[in-house]
Order: sequence, then C-alpha cells, then structure tokens
Amino acid sequence: MDAKGAPLPTPPSPNPSSGSASGAIDAPKPMLAFHFLRALSRVHAGPARRRTRTISRAAYSSMARAAGPRRAWSRALLRQAQARRSTTLASRRAAVLVRRRVAAGPAPPLALPRLTGRSSGSSGETSAARAPLLPPPPPAPRQAGEPARSDALRRLVPGGAGMEYCSLLEETADYVRCLRAQVQLMQGLADLFSCQ
Amino acid sequence: MSSRRGRITDEEINELISKLQALLPESSRRRAASRSSASKLLKETCGYIKSLHQEVDDLSDRLSELMSTLDDNSPQAEIIRSLLR
Repeated sequence: MDAKGAPLPTPPSPNPSSGSASGAIDAPKPMLAFHFLRALSRVHAGPARRRTRTISRAAYSSMARAAGPRRAWSRALLRQAQARRSTTLASRRAAVLVRRRVAAGPAPPLALPRLTGRSSGSSGETSAARAPLLPPPPPAPRQAGEPARSDALRRLVPGGAGMEYCSLLEETADYVRCLRAQVQLMQGLADLFSCQ
Repeated sequence: MSSRRGRITDEEINELISKLQALLPESSRRRAASRSSASKLLKETCGYIKSLHQEVDDLSDRLSELMSTLDDNSPQAEIIRSLLR
C-alpha cells in the first residue's frame, strides 16, 4: 500500500478564501477543516448508528463555529446546536421556549422532513417531537419592495425570519459562500478517504 | 451591522442582489438574464441553497459509509490525526 505516493486531493489551503474581495470576510478554510475534522474524529469514536445524521449536523455546527458569532446565520446554527445538546427532557422544553422567543422562524435544516428521504425513521424522533411545538409564523414581507420569494429564502437561511430584507441578502450571500466551502471540504475528505 | 436602518435605497438592494447573483453557479447565471428580476434571482438562490443542503446530506452519507470502512491504522487516519495535533 503506497500511501505516501497516493495522489491526495488538494488539502484546504491556508490562503484566505478567494472571492472575498466583495468585502465580506469568510471563515478561513483551515478553521473550517479543523472544526469539521475534530467533529468527524468524535463521530468516528462514537457509535456507528445514525452516523449520517450526526455527520450532517457536525457539518453545520462546524461551519457555524468557523464563521463565529459575527453572523446571524452562524449564531442561529450555534443556538440550534446548543439546544440539541441539552438532552434532558426539561432542558429540551426550555430550549424549545428559547427558540420560540428568539423567533427564528426557519426550522433547522437538519430537522426538516424534506431532507429525510433516506433517514425518515431516524430523524422522525426529533422532527416529530419538535414539529408540533414550533408553530412556524408566516411573516409578512417586511419592506415595501420585498418580493414574496423572500419568505422561502428566510426559511432556508438559518435565523432568517427576523431579519430585514437588506440583512437577509447579506446573510444569504455569506451563508452560500460558507456552505459551498463546507461542501468542497466534505468532497475533498470523501475523495481522500476513498482512495485507499 | 448596517446603520442605515431608516431608508434602504433600491440601489443598495440591487447591489446586494447582484452580489448574490455572482455567487450562483455558472449554469444558473447563464440561464438568467443579466437583468433578471429580484424574484427570479431569489428563486435561483433558494434552489441553489437547497441543492447545497442536499449535497451536504449526500456527502454525510458517503462519509459515514467510508468511515465505517476506515481502519484505525490506515494512512488516512494518520493524516487526520496529524492535522489535528
């Protein structure tokens, strides 16, 4: 097994992410890689069941951690991850109340039924337990010029419900950039793992 | 945070929208006219975000499969360990 000579895909380079000339500073890719790899090693050490969902969640929380609290979407994701970590029933109820108070309308991308084509059984417990407790309020468009499409966007971007239209656009741009970087990272890792 | 809460001009919104358009993948950009309406652009963005979410899920699936076949002594695990040190 010639591991040293195996062609590695380009590892996350230490340069700042390209395309940041627009002024928004992305999470640097090494931070993204660090958080995600750390989460992955924990997943690997943990139980083998339901790894897909755990990895998916780890992707979003490591993405949020790398971005830090300066972005509304990352804050929303970190809050969701925190709420999920409280495992006792009482604190889960409290966490739901916190979510209601925060009025983060969009359901976490991980608990939405639409994502569970494969893992309907495993995520049923969370989404079924949480769905009746989280009434999604349909917010009216906040500004005069705001198109109706923005509602769908608000649902997709974490923490998007309470934002002004202008901030929503900024947050969306940042979220898309980080999401893309995360996908690239995962792609690279999958390639790395599969060339054995 | 923007301090121009009072009046957000159309130009600023258009600028933000064009930035979003720049983020979309090439195929969507070709399809959309350069002066596509904001609504259409938001729709493209929603679709793009959904597809990215889907990719994250697919890759998570793939990673979990690969992880189960990963041997602790394999070179890949060593690489990961050295990266985290």
